[in-house]
Amino acid sequence: MSFNLTSEQIDIQKAAREFARGEFTKWAREADEKEYCPEVLYKQAAELGFQGIFFPEEYGGAGLGYLEFCLVIEEFWRVDPGIGQSLGSVVFGSDLLLTFGSEEQKKKYLPPITEGEAIMAAAITEADAGSDVTAVATRAVLDGDEWVINGTKMFITNGNLADYIILYCLTDPDNPSRHQRHSCIMVETDRPGFSANKIHGKMGIRASDTAELSLTDLRVPKENLIGERGEGFAQFMAFFNRTRLHIAAQGIGVAQGALDMATRHVKNRVQFGRPLAALQAVQFKIAEMATKVEASRSLLYRAASLADQGIFDHKLIAMAKWTAGETGVRVTDEALQLHGGYGYLAEYDIERFYRDAKIVELYEGTKEVEKQVIARVILGKA
Amino acid sequence: MSVWVVCEHRNGALREVTYELLAHGAALCMGAVTAVILAGPGEGEALAALINGKAERTLLVEDPSMSAFNGTAQALALASLAEGAQEPPKAILGAHSAAGMDWAPTLAGKLSCPAVTDAVALSMEGDSLTATRVVYGGKLQSKIKLGGAKMVIATIRPGSLEDEPKAASVETSIEATSVSLPSELGKRFIAWVEEAAGDVDISQADILVSVGRGIQDKENIDVAEALAEALGATVSCSRPVVDMNWLPKERQVGISGKTVKPKVYIALGISGAFQHATAMKDSAMIIAVNKDPKAPIFQIAHYGIVGDLFKVAPALTAAVRAAKG
Amino acid sequence: MKIAVFVKHVPDVAEADLEVAADGRTLKGAGLPFEMNEWDRFALEEAVLIKDEVGGDLTAFLIGDEAAEESLRRCLAVGADRAVRLWDEALSGANPFEIAAAMRGAVGDDNYDLILCGAQSSDYGYGMGGPLLAEALGINSVALVNKMKVEGSKVLVTRELEGGWGEEVEVNLPAVISIQTGINEPRYVSILGIKKARKKPIDVLDGAGVDLSSEGGKLVVESLQAPPLGEGAEFLEGSPEEVAERCLALLKEAGGVL
Ligand SMILES: Cc1cc2nc3c(=O)[nH]c(=O)nc-3n(C[C@H](O)[C@H](O)[C@H](O)COP(=O)(O)OP(=O)(O)OC[C@H]3O[C@@H](n4cnc5c(N)ncnc54)[C@H](O)[C@@H]3O)c2cc1C
Ligand SMILES: Cc1cc2nc3c(=O)[nH]c(=O)nc-3n(C[C@H](O)[C@H](O)[C@H](O)COP(=O)(O)OP(=O)(O)OC[C@H]3O[C@@H](n4cnc5c(N)ncnc54)[C@H](O)[C@@H]3O)c2cc1C
Repeated sequence: MSFNLTSEQIDIQKAAREFARGEFTKWAREADEKEYCPEVLYKQAAELGFQGIFFPEEYGGAGLGYLEFCLVIEEFWRVDPGIGQSLGSVVFGSDLLLTFGSEEQKKKYLPPITEGEAIMAAAITEADAGSDVTAVATRAVLDGDEWVINGTKMFITNGNLADYIILYCLTDPDNPSRHQRHSCIMVETDRPGFSANKIHGKMGIRASDTAELSLTDLRVPKENLIGERGEGFAQFMAFFNRTRLHIAAQGIGVAQGALDMATRHVKNRVQFGRPLAALQAVQFKIAEMATKVEASRSLLYRAASLADQGIFDHKLIAMAKWTAGETGVRVTDEALQLHGGYGYLAEYDIERFYRDAKIVELYEGTKEVEKQVIARVILGKA
Repeated sequence: MSVWVVCEHRNGALREVTYELLAHGAALCMGAVTAVILAGPGEGEALAALINGKAERTLLVEDPSMSAFNGTAQALALASLAEGAQEPPKAILGAHSAAGMDWAPTLAGKLSCPAVTDAVALSMEGDSLTATRVVYGGKLQSKIKLGGAKMVIATIRPGSLEDEPKAASVETSIEATSVSLPSELGKRFIAWVEEAAGDVDISQADILVSVGRGIQDKENIDVAEALAEALGATVSCSRPVVDMNWLPKERQVGISGKTVKPKVYIALGISGAFQHATAMKDSAMIIAVNKDPKAPIFQIAHYGIVGDLFKVAPALTAAVRAAKG
Repeated sequence: MKIAVFVKHVPDVAEADLEVAADGRTLKGAGLPFEMNEWDRFALEEAVLIKDEVGGDLTAFLIGDEAAEESLRRCLAVGADRAVRLWDEALSGANPFEIAAAMRGAVGDDNYDLILCGAQSSDYGYGMGGPLLAEALGINSVALVNKMKVEGSKVLVTRELEGGWGEEVEVNLPAVISIQTGINEPRYVSILGIKKARKKPIDVLDGAGVDLSSEGGKLVVESLQAPPLGEGAEFLEGSPEEVAERCLALLKEAGGVL
């Protein structure tokens, strides 16, 4: 068992770090304040090949794996989580298309993303259906050759920016199994009946767009169904096994970024005539933070490299996602603590990282849901 | 034992560093310095007159190939002079300058003799020369011994001599000589290129707010501009800021930019490399803001602030504004 | 056109605390981040731009151990066609003459029309590699170039001088040109570039065969230490606001400018 990144993986990590350091830092504060991510960054990221890293080459991707994508997300979040999420989420939903889409669908929807021509989204959550995705009520009814869709979606990343969205819809309400009532349908956002409303005032990752969607008699061709009808639930469970890897990388990135800041701060800040770093209580804190980050990272890299071998270990992935989220939240908290009162000021980046980290414990399955998944694998349906 | 000093001149005048070199040389060999002037036809005499009293002897070569600087011609000429000399020099000294960076290593290659560039101090112990060099971005210092060779070459960082140059106060003998150089040197001087003059002359400013690579990006120059505006100051910068096109060349402080001597120089995110420091260290008051407590800039600054310029500069801007009402 | 570029892998010391090894003569490199020498990035970019303009083939060279190969892969990722790394343990801590001998050895019998390198490296800053290599090859060299254009069998360069001046010089090829920062805007490495690099060869040459001895190489590092500290700055401490108030007072009193 090798725990070393290959030289190519190290190069990818460095390329992402250099791009993020060179281009994100200058925008980070404004992006947070004004709740947007500059167009030019989307363009540059695509030109440098950061969109679609794990897509096969025939769809314009780099043909690399989840681990490589995780390395990139980690570096992006380490520099700025808000911009990191904006650029990293451009491909959000593509995993589902890659796994269950038809050849035609993949050829149509994937290449524009890698070229920086299109942005994707995936919409499951509704006001009354969060952790319980089987409660999704957005209705899709087949009318001749078209699906007619009505409903609303809540908290949709890229809702205002996306060119097409994978919509989780109720298609078979009468199926006796709760897990076979839903289907995934691709919706182009320029169709009549689609509207998106930006959600303002998020606590963190404010650069990233989040919207409420409303779908009114929206019509899409029958062929926009992804995979089999009624398979939506199963498809999304498989989807989360992939996207949770991306999210775990976010938690590790934000934690590492906060650790970097804390390390620098304690070396420079002098109290009682010595740098803070000379105090054992501070040294222990740094040691604990660094260990948490490495532990979470090891778990994620293992889960991701298994995924790249085709093994999606549900439990391991949920563990990686949960720990990474917790590491993100705890380490940013400790890092802010080490900054003292300064950390509480908006001028200090740690203040933003502290706010940004929390999302990792919420989306793509709250930490409670992750624990449920882990326990269920271990204990069965007790 | 004799030491040769390669005189650096441009447009008919000796460059300041030449006097420093003569003093360095004199200190090493207790007076027996030979000044070597390589010049175009008709230029040598006036230059030699400037050396008078500062060296024991001036070796003067006038050759058409020396009308403009040509590192190859200069290295070839020096090699032939040194190899043909009755008493070969123990050390050939030159300036660590744009010219020195070109001819000195070339000469070392031709003579196949030990050489160091960019020395900040030299000492002679017995038969061998020891050079002190500043390395790793000014964070460390290294001593290099140029062991037992017949002849060695060293270039010296301009402005590194602490003492006033000692005048040798001797009558300088002038020895005109010639060298034979190949007709085709493989490179040809075409023209001088002068930086287009901009509308701002930073060397005239009373207060400079100067930004370095720590400013991170063009957009962030605002931070310095706001402070400059509050103070009635001018914005200047270090070289990387110009290299990345964040500010025009006319704003660059340093050996390849401008030399400045304002009443106040505020350095934001500048490490203090010698190419920068040499050109601003005579400012009446230097305040440096840098997040690295070990940054060399703190060695020449009068006041230092270890911290993030993005916090300190806006706070200072606010304080100045408040004070001005 | 056959183009070569030499790059060096150096520690990034910008924000690091440096420690000298127990021998008192070398830097403790462990734990420091390493990267391509700043000047070499510009040389590499220039080489790629020239290759794109006049066509030809670009080889990247590096004298360094396996860990340093990262900088060579960067060369391949941004456009070099092949890479050559030469190393021998005898080269660790080598002086500029030994490095130049190794550079000469790495070039071998290949005749390059144009060889680019950085004007100096950010670690030791000798700036001797380019000119010494040119001498060893018996070809032309120009140091400190901040503008260049290839014109047939010649290259028109501008050398940077002090005080904002430059001099335009025409040089016959083959030549070694050492590049000053700011000549271009080095690009970011792209994922596609990294993937392409995978298929490009890196030849590893054994430096043991290269004769490193030379009269010029008689340089002995006697010591490496922290520079003697002068009086240094008086440090102002406190919150940004407190520091700002102190500064303001200083400006009023001593600066006499407010
Ligand atoms: C910024 C942002 C972006 C988002 N982007 C998207 C997107 O692009 N697409 C999308 O579809 N959704 C998105 N979401 C929605 C996100 O996935 C949900 O918020 C999340 O799944 C939780 O659902 P909820 O908010 O309804 O909380 P609830 O499900 O109401 O949960 C509330 C609390 O109860 C706990 N809880 C719920 N059920 C259980 C249980 N069985 N056992 C124990 N505890 C339980 C939860 O863990 C949580 O602590 C986004 C959310 C945010 C904030
Ligand atoms: C022939 C030649 C000529 C040259 N001519 C010149 C010249 O004319 N002028 C010149 O300036 N240079 C010149 N140089 C370049 C010189 O060697 C240095 O590379 C350059 O001066 C470094 O600029 P810097 O201090 O801005 O950058 P760096 O050395 O990279 O330093 C940046 C500093 O910013 C600090 N920093 C980073 N972020 C922050 C923050 N948020 N808050 C506070 N501090 C921060 C870092 O700690 C670091 O100390 C020349 C070099 C050569 C070889």
